[in-house]
Amino acid sequence: MTKVRQLPYGELAENGLNIRLAMEEATRCLLCDDAPCSHDCPAGTDPGRFIRAIRFRNFKGAARIIRENNILGATCAEICPQERLCEKACSRCGIDKPINIGRLQAFAMSMEKDMKFQVLEAGKPCGKKVACIGAGPSSLAVAAELAKKGVSVTILDENEKAGGVLRYGITPSRLSDDVIDQDIKAVTDLGVKIVLNKHVSKDDLCALMAEYDAVYVGVGQSASKMIPNMKGADLKGVDTALPFLKKARIANGKIGDLGNVVIIGGGDVAMDCASTARQCGAKSVTVSFVETWETMPASKKEVDYVVDLGVTIIPAFKPLEVIGDDKVSAVKLAAMEGNSSMTLDADTVIFAVGQKVSDDYKDIKADGKLFVGGDAALVRGATVVEAVKSGKEIAEAIAKFLQI
Amino acid sequence: MSKKVDLSIDFLGVHCENPFFLSSSPVCHNYEMIAKCFDLGWGGVFYKTVGINGMNECSPRFDNVRKEDIGWVGFKNMEQISEHCWQENAEIIKRLKHDYPTKVMGVSIMGANEEEWALLAREMTKAGADMLELNFSCPQMTSHAMGSDVGQTPELVEKYTRVVKENTNVPVIAKMTPNISHMEVPSKAAVKGGADAISSINTIKSICNLDLENVTGMPVVNGKSSISGYSGAAVKPIALRFLAQLKMDKDLANVPVSGIGGIETWQDAVEFLLLGAENLQVTTSVMQYGYRVVEDMKDGLEIFMLEHGFTSLRDFIGKALPNIIPCEDLDRDFQIIPEIHDDLCVRCGRCAISCYDGGHQAIEIEKGTRKPLITDKCVGCHLCLNVCPVLGAITPGFIKFKPGRTPHDVVIKHTYDR
Ligand SMILES: Cc1cc2nc3c(=O)[nH]c(=O)nc-3n(C[C@H](O)[C@H](O)[C@H](O)COP(=O)(O)OP(=O)(O)OC[C@H]3O[C@@H](n4cnc5c(N)ncnc54)[C@H](O)[C@@H]3O)c2cc1C
Ligand SMILES: Cc1cc2nc3c(=O)[nH]c(=O)nc-3n(C[C@H](O)[C@H](O)[C@H](O)COP(=O)(O)O)c2cc1C
Ligand code: SF4
Ligand code: SF4
Ligand code: SF4
Repeated sequence: MTKVRQLPYGELAENGLNIRLAMEEATRCLLCDDAPCSHDCPAGTDPGRFIRAIRFRNFKGAARIIRENNILGATCAEICPQERLCEKACSRCGIDKPINIGRLQAFAMSMEKDMKFQVLEAGKPCGKKVACIGAGPSSLAVAAELAKKGVSVTILDENEKAGGVLRYGITPSRLSDDVIDQDIKAVTDLGVKIVLNKHVSKDDLCALMAEYDAVYVGVGQSASKMIPNMKGADLKGVDTALPFLKKARIANGKIGDLGNVVIIGGGDVAMDCASTARQCGAKSVTVSFVETWETMPASKKEVDYVVDLGVTIIPAFKPLEVIGDDKVSAVKLAAMEGNSSMTLDADTVIFAVGQKVSDDYKDIKADGKLFVGGDAALVRGATVVEAVKSGKEIAEAIAKFLQI
Repeated sequence: MSKKVDLSIDFLGVHCENPFFLSSSPVCHNYEMIAKCFDLGWGGVFYKTVGINGMNECSPRFDNVRKEDIGWVGFKNMEQISEHCWQENAEIIKRLKHDYPTKVMGVSIMGANEEEWALLAREMTKAGADMLELNFSCPQMTSHAMGSDVGQTPELVEKYTRVVKENTNVPVIAKMTPNISHMEVPSKAAVKGGADAISSINTIKSICNLDLENVTGMPVVNGKSSISGYSGAAVKPIALRFLAQLKMDKDLANVPVSGIGGIETWQDAVEFLLLGAENLQVTTSVMQYGYRVVEDMKDGLEIFMLEHGFTSLRDFIGKALPNIIPCEDLDRDFQIIPEIHDDLCVRCGRCAISCYDGGHQAIEIEKGTRKPLITDKCVGCHLCLNVCPVLGAITPGFIKFKPGRTPHDVVIKHTYDR
């Protein structure tokens, strides 16, 4: 076996569990009293409860529990940073290692597909209608919760497919279209309408405000940040994370010759860019960031994954300039401490140094019938499971506002 | 919210919101416990067996059987009946019946003679019992005039049942011991004495483990131990067998049965229902995991019913009985030769070891590749399928008719999920 993992673009990084393997893992669960794992799931997915259902062979019941608590249960299973959420709290850590909650959640959700009845049902129509801008996790959660209460919900999104970052940011090896589709089907089965290829401008927003009883802004953070005054940032071959990932997703990994790739940034987004570049056939991939191994924001799971794929990681270096004439040819980096510096050959440079709310919505504030949530309400992007939590809370607030 | 189906059933004319009851044991011996179990969704209880006086119990009194890394495969106890005297129990039952009018209070009782049985029947009925269960089956009583010694003697079963019937107006259920080869015999005696239903099973006499340190059985009570009752998952197969035999006996076929023994999951519950049980009782899995086990029993049963289009438990109670037939009536014309799926097989060779040492030397391991190959010696016993560690790597393959037998349609099992 080679030391570097070969994983074609789009092929799944992890296999699912079958019943026997799921039972083995569920049997490791201590079935804790007042399960600590459940307290540490932001969205209230209640892992302690659904693992118990698996343990007692109530597999479809487990799927139903997850779906009722977290409308994006299948997605979260795949991409939650469990090691700092539910699994971090797991009592089993005191014996050996935590229960693999994500895998069990994915197993349960795979059982949902065989279910011969619809798990969630829309509430009795209450006569109210709500529009959600953006079809990312937070809007999907707002929409599902409101539909369960009988609200007629329309989601509008500028993209060709629904899902927001799920569809165009996170790589398909970590999160397949099938899983996203399964979750979105649960939303549309509740009668939620999704209008695609519809960019909602400031003017459109005013019209929506007039037409709907409430409007939810879940536009996420779709603009890329850039390091100010970075020399060479406008050379050909320089890109930012979101456009790069989206391009790869739409072209299913066939985005031409990337050559030597250098990625700037130490978060999960940078890691997604690294694995994507690697899977799209880059000659070499190097990730560099200003933080140290200890302080880098990316989750350990993501870092281990890209290292497995043969990505080189250089912590504690900051980019000084991008070098090239018309097209990039190298990047110059300097150590955060001491005087070391290095110049890396590069044909592609990707800046993954953060995202922000687009200019149209950057100053928007919740007001009256206007609600804002998910990443759009944050300075720094959070996680999908927190977007679900935010969506659930805002749905409650909207319901209260609509007096239903 | 999602669909719900009706899990209620009328058992002996008593409306039960679901078939899940706690069986008589320490899981239901005081007010607080039973209140908690009702709040968590149990349909009813059979209150811990009430005798005239409280018991004098030994310590410790439990042990369990492990198999490799799984504990509690089976559970042994050396406990007798209630620690309280009947007056105290009557008080508790009265309060529970008052506070939980929609829940079903079955009360288990046990006397040592006709006077005691009569008194307990009268007093528990007065306290508010919805049903009386007669404990003819505890295998570890310190008095031989009580428990399974009585249950093995049909004359006593009939006599005591009759006494109880004469002293109550609520349905009477006789709880039988499995420590007997034909439970039908004492069951018929109970019915003759007036019993309305049978409960089966109580615990099985056992010695689970020996303690090598003290050279005695487990648990060790001051250096000694006793033969006593075994329960839990390991006894389910035995409980199902007694249940089927009761339901297939033509004299007992119409006598309702409350099924007990090793119920942990909704699937276990469905199995008891398919063999004709109309009520289900649980102890050991509650002792191990808590009252909460009922949540997945109810939830799983509900999903099973939704998916099969059943609207009432009666739609499938007893459905499997016609398919349990005597060994001599099985179709023996064919062999189902298994198929080994190369893509799933991990080349461990466990199938070949078992087939050689416990079967018919019909699996050859290919040199170099370690691939198992099934040869003509295969008789279709499916030992390999049972031992294979990879789910789905060995499945039923093709049907081979024995020489001289006429080929015909054969029903086979396709999906294995354990
Ligand atoms: C590359 C990447 C990887 C990530 N990996 C993980 C991970 O592994 N685990 C995890 O939990 N979280 C991860 N996150 C974070 C997570 O995806 C976000 O926190 C979450 O998606 C936020 O959800 P949201 O609904 O607020 O916004 P988004 O998912 O951003 O959705 C907003 C949607 O609104 C659309 N939109 C914006 N403006 C308009 C407009 N004017 N008109 C119409 N539509 C508009 C956008 O195109 C988008 O489709 C990652 C984020 C990125 C960028
Ligand atoms: C600790 C313990 C105490 C029990 N006490 C009684 C009892 O008092 N009366 C009775 O009828 N059965 C008693 N039983 C038997 C149970 O009610 C039940 O019939 C048996 O345990 C099988 O069911 P299970 O496998 O669900 O435990 C007792 C069982 C256990 C484990
Ligand atoms: S939703 Fe995410 S954080 Fe919550 S239990 Fe599931 S995997 Fe853990
Ligand atoms: S904390 Fe861990 S061991 Fe306890 S219930 Fe949750 S998953 Fe199981
Ligand atoms: S079915 Fe029996 S005889 Fe045939 S290969 Fe398997 S173990 Fe051997």
